[in-house]
Amino acid sequence: MKIEFWGQEFQVNMVVGCIGGFLIAIMSSMFGFGGGPFMVPLMTVALRLPMYLVVGSSLLAIFFNTSVSTMRHYQFGNFDLYFFLAMFPAAILGGYIAPQIAKRVSPLVVKRIACLGLVLLALNLLGVY
Amino acid sequence: MKKKAGMMPWLFAAMVVLLGVNTANSEETGAQAPPQAAAAVAAPTIVLDKAELNNGGSIKVSGQAPAGKPVFLEVWAEDHTVRANRFDSEVDKETGKRPYVFYITQDMPAYYKTFVPKELQPKIDEAKKKGKKWSYSELLKDLGADVAYTVPAKAKIERYQSTLMASVVGSRGTLLDAMDDKENKKRSMQLVKARFQSIDKVVAAAVDVKPDGSYTADIKIREGLAPGKYTIVAVVDKKVKSEPATFDNKIAFPLVYLENAGTSLNIFYPFFLSLGVAIFGVLMGAGGGFIMNPLLLALFPALPHTIVAGTVTPTVLFSQGSGIYNYSKIKFINWKLGCGIGCAMLLGGFIGPKLTEMITLDQFKFAFGWILLILAALMLWQTTPGYLAKNKKEQSILKEFKKRAEETAKGKN
Repeated sequence: MKIEFWGQEFQVNMVVGCIGGFLIAIMSSMFGFGGGPFMVPLMTVALRLPMYLVVGSSLLAIFFNTSVSTMRHYQFGNFDLYFFLAMFPAAILGGYIAPQIAKRVSPLVVKRIACLGLVLLALNLLGVY
Repeated sequence: MKKKAGMMPWLFAAMVVLLGVNTANSEETGAQAPPQAAAAVAAPTIVLDKAELNNGGSIKVSGQAPAGKPVFLEVWAEDHTVRANRFDSEVDKETGKRPYVFYITQDMPAYYKTFVPKELQPKIDEAKKKGKKWSYSELLKDLGADVAYTVPAKAKIERYQSTLMASVVGSRGTLLDAMDDKENKKRSMQLVKARFQSIDKVVAAAVDVKPDGSYTADIKIREGLAPGKYTIVAVVDKKVKSEPATFDNKIAFPLVYLENAGTSLNIFYPFFLSLGVAIFGVLMGAGGGFIMNPLLLALFPALPHTIVAGTVTPTVLFSQGSGIYNYSKIKFINWKLGCGIGCAMLLGGFIGPKLTEMITLDQFKFAFGWILLILAALMLWQTTPGYLAKNKKEQSILKEFKKRAEETAKGKN
């Protein structure tokens, strides 16, 4: 599959992408976090896509699984309304602010921020905090 | 472009539906049945040193019990109950099959704790060594505190026969017949564990019993618990217990009681926390749930971890949704790529829970932690000048970025 971004053409192997996504989903559903932190390196390191395109498309890719797990949590009664009401306006606001930041800073900076996120999760999995 | 216009209404429709379902859930659960006042011959007495707490604190309980017997204090929140649930997929020792039964109750007290004599501390420590695998019913029996286990035992538990696959999307399956009292009590203990998770939240060794039978106990009520009336009963034996004593736990705005979490919280903290985390998460192309969950649990230890996960997930859904919408405006999204990988992930999400039954997670956690560190290092390497010099496409994207940045700068002048 060919993907064009800002006048550059990128050749993407969708088979690798889909198998990767499949494995990431298995893993993340087992550990109970969204696949985002693994999706980003899959798209940058394995598929060699530019960071700008990765942040958007990775969000889209993990959105489906987040919907399913939201449904499960809700049905199992693990949802608190007031708690949610306190957080979700901030979440939407965050979704507006982050792309504005992404647009203004260099893709290199965005990528380094993503690295920081990965390290945070890695330390969590390793039991450091 | 056309594809994009076609997708947006769907994403929003999905969110509207979810929000609609969420708001329909705000009804309150019924009040707790009053405890039985057992009138026995040598019933212990109970005296509290105060009748009111302000968002937690310490209460001194004292009284006189028959000499030479242990005294247990059963403490629970009278005014607020919460939901507790458990999906039983562990192999049944007798039949060797996995039952896949879902247990749920609406009547779990928002706070429930048994205080046992101080000299039983070693037994509690021993149970803690088992880690997450501790058993509430065994612990109560070990401590002899099962005589003081009454309130959750009466909670009405519903059970559903489900399947593993159905549980992935949250289907409960079909409702089974009600259980008898004994079975209900046994399952209620599992639900207490599922709800409160850690030993420290349900048991503490705090009662100081003198040889003459008089006892004192300093009961610490944590910050951020449910408001309203709390009841304490001193129990010596199944039939020998004191009259219930009560105290009030007061909370005031901006502390808000969370109906399902069963705890209270300054409502501004989660707002700012999720704002920061959402910005960071969306900026790196994830939702931010992986930071939010451990962060909330670390900052507000009173919150039950199931509620945190179950509430952060929909929150993250919104940050992702709004992130997708705004990235699509600046064309940072490839719809084919995202949807393609998204569908593959959906498939994987259904298989994961099945695999969880076959392998232990802890070793994998360690492995994935290191894999992530390596991936992070690879990504960081991609931002070094050495890598960029070799990769012409990255260079031209950078050039394009600089050009655009200059243009916007000029536009502002």
